Amino acid sequence: MNPAREGTWYAPVRFEVREEHVSRFARAVGDDGSFVPPTFVTAPEISAGLAQAVADAELGLDFARVVHSEQEYEWSRPVRVGDVLEVVSQVESIRTKGGHEFLTLRTEIRDADGDLVVVARSSLVVRGNT
Amino acid sequence: MTRRFEDVTLGEQMPTLAKTVTREDVNAYADASGDQNSLHQDDEVARSVGFSGVIAHGMFTMAHLTSCLIGWLGDPTGLTRLRVQFRAPVYMGETIVASGAVRSLDPDTRRAVLDVWVTLERDGRTEFPIRRGEAEVQLA
Repeated sequence: MNPAREGTWYAPVRFEVREEHVSRFARAVGDDGSFVPPTFVTAPEISAGLAQAVADAELGLDFARVVHSEQEYEWSRPVRVGDVLEVVSQVESIRTKGGHEFLTLRTEIRDADGDLVVVARSSLVVRGNT
Repeated sequence: MTRRFEDVTLGEQMPTLAKTVTREDVNAYADASGDQNSLHQDDEVARSVGFSGVIAHGMFTMAHLTSCLIGWLGDPTGLTRLRVQFRAPVYMGETIVASGAVRSLDPDTRRAVLDVWVTLERDGRTEFPIRRGEAEVQLA
């Protein structure tokens, strides 16, 4: 990866929380679909952060070698069906150690009023050749 | 109904929640989350980075842990913070078991902090797909 990309903000992504998507996600994680699973926020987080990092030619992230090492969510309020979210991600850090590369993405998800819904931090390892 | 602050004790353990992970689960999760990393779908790709086959998304395991927390709490909107480390892969057909224990209680905010984890048994050993997790919940 290109360490000069540290600090990069990716373009904000608009993400509408649709009932069909929520129930598909709930089924996939084994919930009964009567509520929005708290980790549903992973879907908007990926759309703004990981998807743009993977598409960032200057960053040079080899997605097939990426393993998730840590994840953190801090919710200010639960996500609801019908929310229109604005999602923005930043490359928080890029490090190299022991033949592996480490990338941390920080994502802020806000509602239509601009109020914070959740802050996510995702730490990824790009595995070296084994 | 949301669990009441007065009904929670320090050290109290959440009931475990077990799930056997299938390829269908992982495909459904890839579709629903948007994480289409081929490491979770293609055995060849998984082997090329040192795994013995396709592994589940870490976030799938984290979602399972969240289901366990919500079951104990009795309120899907009461989770305020969750932080985990992914420390072992989960292969198809393996059974993940989520649990946790109350570490601290704050009477002012009526919130609890729990140590949380996910284990599985492989070759007679206990592995930790999630270890040293920390969750904060809002009690009633």
